[in-house]
Amino acid sequence: MNKLKLIIAREYLEMVKRKSFIVITLLMPLLVLLVGGIPVLISQLNGGGETKDVIVIDETGKYAAALADNDTYHFVALRGDTVTDARAFYEKTDGSSEAMIVIPRDIDSTAVVNIYSEGTINLSLREYVAGRLSDTISQARIASYNIPELKSIIDKANVDVTINSVKWSDDGSESESSTEMAMIIGMIFSMFIYMFVLMYGAMIMNGVVEEKTNRIVEVIVSSCKPFQLMMGKIIGVGLVGLTQFAVWVLVIGAVVLAMGGVSSVGVDAGASEDMMAMIMSQVASVNYLPIISWFVLYFIGGYLLYAALFAAFGSAVDQASDASQFTSPIIIIMIVALYAGMGCIDNPNGPMAVWCSMIPFTSPIVMMIRVPYDVPAWQMVASLALLYATAAGIVWVAARIYRTGILMYGKKHTIKDIFKWIKQ
Amino acid sequence: MNFIEINDVVKRYSGHTALDGVSLTVPQGCIYGLLGPNGAGKTTLIRIINRITHQDSGDVLLDGRPIVDEDVTRIGYLPEERGLYKKMKVGEQIVYLARLKGMPKSVAVKEMNDWLERFELTEWRDKKLEALSKGMQQKVQFIATVIHRPQLLIFDEPFSGFDPVNSEQLKREILRLRDGGSTILFSTHNMESVEAICEQITLINHSKVVLQGNVAQIRQNYKKNIIAVSLAGDETLPQCDGMFTVMDDKPVGASGEYIKLNDGVTVREAVSWLNQNCNLTGFSEVLPSMNEIFIETVTSKQ
Repeated sequence: MNKLKLIIAREYLEMVKRKSFIVITLLMPLLVLLVGGIPVLISQLNGGGETKDVIVIDETGKYAAALADNDTYHFVALRGDTVTDARAFYEKTDGSSEAMIVIPRDIDSTAVVNIYSEGTINLSLREYVAGRLSDTISQARIASYNIPELKSIIDKANVDVTINSVKWSDDGSESESSTEMAMIIGMIFSMFIYMFVLMYGAMIMNGVVEEKTNRIVEVIVSSCKPFQLMMGKIIGVGLVGLTQFAVWVLVIGAVVLAMGGVSSVGVDAGASEDMMAMIMSQVASVNYLPIISWFVLYFIGGYLLYAALFAAFGSAVDQASDASQFTSPIIIIMIVALYAGMGCIDNPNGPMAVWCSMIPFTSPIVMMIRVPYDVPAWQMVASLALLYATAAGIVWVAARIYRTGILMYGKKHTIKDIFKWIKQ
Repeated sequence: MNFIEINDVVKRYSGHTALDGVSLTVPQGCIYGLLGPNGAGKTTLIRIINRITHQDSGDVLLDGRPIVDEDVTRIGYLPEERGLYKKMKVGEQIVYLARLKGMPKSVAVKEMNDWLERFELTEWRDKKLEALSKGMQQKVQFIATVIHRPQLLIFDEPFSGFDPVNSEQLKREILRLRDGGSTILFSTHNMESVEAICEQITLINHSKVVLQGNVAQIRQNYKKNIIAVSLAGDETLPQCDGMFTVMDDKPVGASGEYIKLNDGVTVREAVSWLNQNCNLTGFSEVLPSMNEIFIETVTSKQ
């Protein structure tokens, strides 16, 4: 037991002290925040930019007023008759305007507008113009029917259904819940298990191969049991991963909370801040305790299962590059699990979701996505029991492969050899 | 008092037998050579003593009792294929390995400092292993093997990779450990070192013991009545067909002549005949080297 602790401590400290680990652990949250924050930043930058002139030639003389100036564009209305040569007309101006819009005489029937420009036409300009003109023209069409009160009748007939999801708790109280947010968080956890197992599984395998090629393994197993070395590595690396996870959660959580605080007292409460506040309230409304508890349970089980496989495969090869024949099946299974999980979002209690959350190789990923949808308790228990029983079995088999494999040098081993080692 | 007793140990792997009824005893405080060509089964035997693998049948006794897993703390093992963690600091690495062998941390640190000083490696203590030269890495490995004061030391080809100066230092350290009461089991191909420091040997070939005993005794048993003779001045050795033949092949650089006595001729008779017939200045019996015995034994049994 004491030796196991020593091995865990060494594995943990050696990895945590590495510069690459420290850099990734600190940079990753920044990267995530950056990627998340860039759209907000860009929209703010755009808002503060200079306004651009856009020439509007309104052949009808009715609609130019509909194009009111906004933060980005200043519309200069020019009275024009039928424009036969848009280019020639544009060249008569001083050329400083961004684009030229021609509203044709027959727009009431065709609903087509041309925008000319020497450069690419900005999407936001197209959307703005289309939106304003659509509204105005449909108003005009409604008015053209000359039916009294038609506008108010149509306004009344337009319905926009809002869904208010209310969740009954066991104690009878009602609370607003956000299933979408719970689902997103479930997906994040599920992705995390996927990434973590692959990343740290590969690390375990490389560690085993390194010990083997360094030949230190013979020195170590003359001091302790191969099983202790294997489990020490698996547990040590797992703790490294949990440390990294904890740092990420703390850093991202702290920054998001800080941003939430800033935006609520924000000077100009634009649309993006409103959206942010809504997301914040949804993030806060999710009941994290059960999700995180399930996550920890599935994480440990899934990690043990796959880590033991990676350790066993690492022991059976001389170089990490030889291991692909063993690892590619694992990766394929993991990818299948991920897609199965994504598929479960549409039908979280369908047969595929239920089966994939029972099979131990896919359950950690799939079940994390199902958790927000109130999975029956018996399914959770059965799935966890299956997962842990399989993980224990895999660890046992892996230990038998490992203790033989680590001392076998210079030969490529087939699956057949490995079965022999298990039986020995 | 025997420190190790191995009785009739058999180990089979799928397809072949690695050890076939091997027995040997190593007395307390002895430097014992375990010899044999590659693939003879030496490493398997060493791994059995180290509890890395287990014999199919037979007994291994350590200090009079059947060996158990806890005994590994009393053994120091330097494998032929050396290895340490390249990215780990020298000091941390030695202390880690010492603690794995059950040594308390504070004691391990103190011992580590003493050893590093003895090998003039103190300034390297906080460097990563990969920064050290190959020779220095070997010394670190040696320290890691002996730091927990094991009663039994197992060295597999300890001198490979050492230059002559370091080999000498290593030899001195090994003898010092023996004088401190440790029993040493040596596995090697280097027959000169066997002659220099081993008291007893076991030669294993094809999974079986083919030769065993005291080194001096074995050399006596294998002697072929060859005598190195030197004569005064440039006198040449007279022929005497009835008594000896002059050998054509003698070791490179040897002075004088080598003669092989015929069967039944005693050394005494040869000396008196030579004394009468020529001006004898030197006369010494040539014992076969362990190298010759090794090659002869291994090739004759094939």
